[in-house]
Amino acid sequence: MTTAPPRSARPVRPRRSPLVGVVLIALVAVTIAAGLVIEFDLLPLVTRFTRGWSVISQFLLPDWAFLVRPSTVAALGTTLATAVVSTAVGAAIALVLSLLASRVTNRSGALYRVVKLLLSMVRSLPDIAWGLLFVAFVGVGAFAGTLALVMFNIGIIAKLTAETVDAVDPGPLEAADAAGANTAQRARVAVLPQILPGFASYTMYVFELNVRAATVLGMVGAGGIGNLLAIELARFNYDNLSALIVLLFVVVLLLDQLSGLLRRRLAR
Amino acid sequence: MIRFSKVSVRYPNGTVGLDEVDLDIPDGQFVVVVGLSGAGKSTLVRSINGLVTTTSGELEVNGQRVDGASKRQLRRLRSRIGMVFQSFNLVTRTTVLRNVLVGRLHATPTWRSLLGWYRKEDVELAFQALERVGIVEKAYTRASQLSGGQRQRVAIARVLAQHPEVILADEPVASLDPPTANLVMRDLQRINRELGITTVVNLHFLDLARAYAQRIIGMRAGRIVFDGSPAEADDAVFTEIYGRSLTADDLLPDVDVELDDAEGPAG
Repeated sequence: MTTAPPRSARPVRPRRSPLVGVVLIALVAVTIAAGLVIEFDLLPLVTRFTRGWSVISQFLLPDWAFLVRPSTVAALGTTLATAVVSTAVGAAIALVLSLLASRVTNRSGALYRVVKLLLSMVRSLPDIAWGLLFVAFVGVGAFAGTLALVMFNIGIIAKLTAETVDAVDPGPLEAADAAGANTAQRARVAVLPQILPGFASYTMYVFELNVRAATVLGMVGAGGIGNLLAIELARFNYDNLSALIVLLFVVVLLLDQLSGLLRRRLAR
Repeated sequence: MIRFSKVSVRYPNGTVGLDEVDLDIPDGQFVVVVGLSGAGKSTLVRSINGLVTTTSGELEVNGQRVDGASKRQLRRLRSRIGMVFQSFNLVTRTTVLRNVLVGRLHATPTWRSLLGWYRKEDVELAFQALERVGIVEKAYTRASQLSGGQRQRVAIARVLAQHPEVILADEPVASLDPPTANLVMRDLQRINRELGITTVVNLHFLDLARAYAQRIIGMRAGRIVFDGSPAEADDAVFTEIYGRSLTADDLLPDVDVELDDAEGPAG
């Protein structure tokens, strides 16, 4: 063994802030209090399991014939179309807004703050609320659902993309500046190529969400498969309902896999 | 002609970048600025195209005042001054050609650049610039697939596509290995000679400066402490610029001094 260097004083370990403990205890207390408020208890899952058996047993006999009815096929088509259109429109608007919602690509302080405020307002309403709002404005149907999803998509994509814009490599920006480019030009040539993979990935993620969200929105009057679900539920047609649920499960699973595959390829 | 008269730069945190610098650079000269990190050589070069804003004094490039220029005037001035960077500053996710076309942005209407529809003449200029640095065959390659030396040559082509009157290079070889560093310096020197473009280059190392400069400017603490020919820049000058004499510690043991064998970063 080699000889150790002469021993010097070890640095004193810095004390952790007592605040960390306080915050942890507060978090636990709030969680317990919240559980007490809604009387959260896992026991009913076991004790009352048999109560739902008559309902569940009907679910176990799906009526597959229901799925090939023209009205069902059309409803599924409506839901998917709603998801596709709202993703495309929402993503296009979100891309422009995200460039306006970053200091990197928007050098006007006033416009930047306006867009930021607008985006947080868009995000503050849940998709169901947008759905109810647009049903009130444009009436029951897929159009209301599409508009609601567009708002929902703008909120998510613009926020995530603006954060990507904030984090771009500043080198190409500097080069564009030094070459005499204006703000719009440098956003196009120096920022856009850097954020495109992220933007495409967020868009596909939002598309996955949209298929599910379009279904839920259908239950509040935005048409499509959700509307069908609401009707069959009201008629207690559990055999039809369970077939629909299996269908939805398979469709969403397939789309998730597909978009996940594409997103992984983009991340390269 | 680049003319500094009593130019000072003081950064918001109080650091003095330039301290009452007086300097004239005539057209077509190849000037190398040397000095330690923080000596103000980067500030000097970046003030010429307004990337760094001067706090006092007068700075003029080919008759255009840089200090106090409006945003529009500054953009026009920058279109006439090309810049090469230490980290190349290419958009790595796009092609070499698209990177070189950044040099044509100043002459391209905004709507065209937004759509990515560059004029045929501008694309031709970009190809010619790539030809001049000898990598025209890489035009449609993604910049991310190039080596460091190739990237810096693309960056030089981007500058050439601008048709500049002045080329600024801020530590252009600091991220490159010694042989590649020499290739890039030779490119810059050749362009200066063939096209007569005034060139101002920042370097860490006096030996590279001696090999390529027509004129060496040594900086220390925001001031010019040496201004002369490469022949005059001897070891005494080194002491003046770097604050101490060259000692054995500055030379790595077991390193071949021959450039073609040397490896590792240039600094």
